[in-house]
Amino acid sequence: MPALPPHLAMISLEFFLQQCLIGVTNGALIALVAMGYSMVYGIIGLINFAHGDLIMLGACLALSLVGASGLVDAGPTATWWGVVLLLLACGLFCGTLNMAVDRFIYKPLRNASKLAPLVSAIGVSFIFMNVGLFWLGPADRSFPELVPPTNLFSGDTLQFTYQDLLVVVVVVLLMVALSVLVRSTRLGRAMRAVSQDPTAAALVGVDVDRVIAATFFIGGALGGAASVIYSLYIKTIGFQMGFQNGLYAFTAAVLGGIGSIPGAVVGGLVIGLVRSLASAYVGERWTGAIVFAILIVILVFRPEGLLGRRTREKV
Amino acid sequence: MCYRFLSEVVRYCCSEGLSRSTCVVRKRILQRVTIHKPPRWELMCRVMILPIITVGLLAGCRPADPTRVKIVSSLPRTGSAKQQTDTIVRGIRMAIEEAQNKAGPFHIEYLDLDDSTAAAGQWTSEAEAANARRAMQDPDVCVYIGTFNSGAAKVSMPILNLGDLMMISPANTAVGLTKPGLGAPGEPEVYRPTGRMNYMRVVPADDLQGPLAADWAAKRGVKGVYILDDNEVYGKGVADLFDERCREIGIEVLGHDSIDSRAQEFKSLMASVKAAKPDLVYFGGTTQSKGGQLAKDMSSAGVEAMLMVPDGCREQVFIDSAGASNLEGRCFVTFGGLPPEKLTGKGLEFVERYKEKYGDVPEAYAVYGYEAACVAIEAIRRAGSKDRRAIADAALAIRDFKGALGNWGFDENGDTTMQTLTVSVVKNGRFEFEEILEADRKNNALEADADGGKSNQ
Amino acid sequence: MSNSGELSQRQQAWVLIKDHWDVSALLVLAIAPLGVPALGGALGGQFTTLFIYSILALGLNVMVGYTGLVHLGIAAFFGIGAYVTGILTVPMYPFQIGFLGAAIASIVVAAGIGLALGAPTLRLRGDYLAIVTLGFGEVVKVTLRNLEQITGGMKGLNPVPPPGAGVKLGGLDVGLSFAIDPRWFYYLSLGILAIVVIAMRRLENSRLGRAWMAVREDELAATAMGISATRVKLSAFAMSSAIAGLAGSLYAASLSTTADPNAYDFNRSIMVLCAVILGGLGSIPGTLLGVGILVGFDTVLAPWADSWIQQLDINPTGSSMLSFSGWRLAIFGVALVLVMRLRPEGLVPSRRVAAELHREEEHAAITKGF
Repeated sequence: MPALPPHLAMISLEFFLQQCLIGVTNGALIALVAMGYSMVYGIIGLINFAHGDLIMLGACLALSLVGASGLVDAGPTATWWGVVLLLLACGLFCGTLNMAVDRFIYKPLRNASKLAPLVSAIGVSFIFMNVGLFWLGPADRSFPELVPPTNLFSGDTLQFTYQDLLVVVVVVLLMVALSVLVRSTRLGRAMRAVSQDPTAAALVGVDVDRVIAATFFIGGALGGAASVIYSLYIKTIGFQMGFQNGLYAFTAAVLGGIGSIPGAVVGGLVIGLVRSLASAYVGERWTGAIVFAILIVILVFRPEGLLGRRTREKV
Repeated sequence: MCYRFLSEVVRYCCSEGLSRSTCVVRKRILQRVTIHKPPRWELMCRVMILPIITVGLLAGCRPADPTRVKIVSSLPRTGSAKQQTDTIVRGIRMAIEEAQNKAGPFHIEYLDLDDSTAAAGQWTSEAEAANARRAMQDPDVCVYIGTFNSGAAKVSMPILNLGDLMMISPANTAVGLTKPGLGAPGEPEVYRPTGRMNYMRVVPADDLQGPLAADWAAKRGVKGVYILDDNEVYGKGVADLFDERCREIGIEVLGHDSIDSRAQEFKSLMASVKAAKPDLVYFGGTTQSKGGQLAKDMSSAGVEAMLMVPDGCREQVFIDSAGASNLEGRCFVTFGGLPPEKLTGKGLEFVERYKEKYGDVPEAYAVYGYEAACVAIEAIRRAGSKDRRAIADAALAIRDFKGALGNWGFDENGDTTMQTLTVSVVKNGRFEFEEILEADRKNNALEADADGGKSNQ
Repeated sequence: MSNSGELSQRQQAWVLIKDHWDVSALLVLAIAPLGVPALGGALGGQFTTLFIYSILALGLNVMVGYTGLVHLGIAAFFGIGAYVTGILTVPMYPFQIGFLGAAIASIVVAAGIGLALGAPTLRLRGDYLAIVTLGFGEVVKVTLRNLEQITGGMKGLNPVPPPGAGVKLGGLDVGLSFAIDPRWFYYLSLGILAIVVIAMRRLENSRLGRAWMAVREDELAATAMGISATRVKLSAFAMSSAIAGLAGSLYAASLSTTADPNAYDFNRSIMVLCAVILGGLGSIPGTLLGVGILVGFDTVLAPWADSWIQQLDINPTGSSMLSFSGWRLAIFGVALVLVMRLRPEGLVPSRRVAAELHREEEHAAITKGF
């Protein structure tokens, strides 16, 4: 395989900036998915394998809603409102679904070994995939271009469109909202209490089951938002999309320190940047290996992740 | 160390088998009776397992029937290739129905095997190997139609060769499967452990498609290309041939990279492509390996170049998944043979009947599935027996076949003599026929041989 | 002594079978091809696959079951084994040392890579270790795919000769027999499986095996008792990798190709992990049963059910709703969920794990009582 021929364009500053922009945007999307993982992990220590597939189902719903509502032909203002409504509808759908899954599948396993919910989550992810298969059909589907791909920069050297902007804005908003929720509301305090010690939390009057259900709802709603953003930004959905989605997001969550919301965002951004820079300067074919190699190296030197707390083993 | 291990094994067998039966068992019985009593259904499960296995095994066997032949196909029937293989299977079924399930004195049964698994979502080596073994071991199976993916053919070819079972592919285009000197060293002999031939294909191979696409690009005034491939046997094969030809005829290759077909987006890659400023982007791959997403990201990154894809993308799903507006007028696809709407004679009849039956225009490969099945039936008829060697020989001896694809035959490698290649362009959300590229096959083969460093007679 | 009189010999034999039903099942499988023609035919190859996955799962069981470390990248070691065997046997390379040598080399190389990965990462806790193994799996897959000059890229290494190629035993060409008659591979893999099962049973009660379980139950307490936790974990990692390497070697030989690198991806690791957990962590019969159910579902039952549906001709339009393969994922998922709900400790739990869980339940009951 011949190496890439040297192009002056490849080493220019604009090219580097462009790749960073792409990296940040992709990273923001990964971070959004990773937050969902982190929420659930933070509270019951479950790696929710079904999260990626939950997002896939959200995207199915988004596609059906867009098809049914005729949003494609609507004017620009209506489209923006439509996107907001989509975010709400998919958030509600995924949140409710996630909560229902917790209620009927994970909740009876609270006292079982840690691996039982994990395997159940894998099972749920298979079920979701099958639902997606019947919903979408076996082939990838194209998602209509609702947000215009208009470049925000003048000139041709740098490209940052409304679609990219949408991703970044929504992720920043949701991250801020989530941080406020966890840090300063009553529910957030209860969540932190449950995540530290469910028994003690129960003793001081926290309704542990309800807090966990609420967490699943919020995690699912984040997934629903992610599904809409994903559909608008990537513009292709398919019943197998959940897996790759989940893989990177889960990695981002662990990289940042699993259970920590800012950690998930940092992890997502790091992975997004590594991916796009590796693609530009090493070769697209090696990106997967580089992302995970960096992950291993970081974990070897910082075993608790970038922003994770160092916890002591319980004696 | 080995000795110690062996002695351990022997000791284990002795102690487990003999001494346990006297004292240990008694201890266990005590435990069971007094302390641990497993639920009844658990015991039932344990006990039921053996009979279930046995019954399952017995159910799998039926005696051979002298009046019946089986044709099996092995295609990816789960996952994203399903849409395409559905049409191939329909083509095969139609061919068998038209023959009224008869080939000479035999009654035909058709079995549609899946070489993909739910877990993988695409073809897997072990499913393909299992299908091949299954076909091999069933004495009624006389023809194996498959595979869809060239990579899968590499798995099943050596297995089926041992049984001389005729294998005919409606879709494999990798050159190494049949053509000496064009593929990797040792191909295609490694797929023929017996030294005899049993594999043939009705679709032209990539040694035609890759170079002709490059010639076409030169004719269109393309100066620089950026080549991408999906790193699979088929996609990478055709992209490498395209690459080679471009360098020969003086088109500058600005870059050649492989994508990960599981990646979700290629925005970074497309930024690199854009910086290289090519006139044409060539993607060696299929719809299943993210051809659609590539086109989409190409357009949203603002790459103005033309896009050219091989026959693996010539299906409506490709346009649907890429979004028609991203391809409109800029995407060209090469295809071996004539597209469905240009077929004449028997081919036209097939298309008409297909439309009537399924209410849809057939995908490009449906007619190849049909043709492969027709060849299979013809071969069984000519051989007149269930002798697999005779059937494979009868098929390979076909030199003049009047079928849906026109008049063609097999050459000495089991390749089709059909040399027509067409280019289509995407217009109004559909593929539209653009032009026919007729190859002077001899010149092509000679040139390629000179490169391969081996002479082909 | 006085108890022996209460049970007849038949009952004693019955208890023996119940207690050693994994060994009994292996024995039945060993005799089966003689009486059941299908095993010598079409199904033989699929059972070989089952046996190979059983070996792989037993390897994973060392790490997940005995030592309690979650491993999400076992397929990488499976792949390493397959590719080492491929490199050492295919005609493309000058080595061509035959199956036995290649299998031993696969074990050694896989164990070595396991040690190299484990040494720096084993101090990571639970889920962090899991993700490192997952990442390693992806790295191996991408590397195998991209090092085309060595691994053949997506083409894989092809063809891997059958064991005993070129060996003649009294007029019988062993290599050719392996290639033509599935029973040869059936017995080879069954034999290796039996050896691994026996070795595991011995290991379970050995000093090392007990150390593994001690570390799983309570690392601190184990360390206090003078067990070097790092060393014990590292040995578990190496043992897991070695057995996975052996399984990979056998896999390549039975497929006669190394397959493409995508065959060794995360999906495969997950499938094997599910099999181990479903069957019962740390339990050999459980692991075998788990593989039998999950892998058997995909390689034996699903193709059989699909062709059965076809022969009945109830699905003329080929809709995916009416075919078995359309529902495969859902059936799979529901099975996993149901088993975890009804028996979270697995179908055939090891006694020790069950006891531990039982204790936890008691504990939970007490806390709920407050």
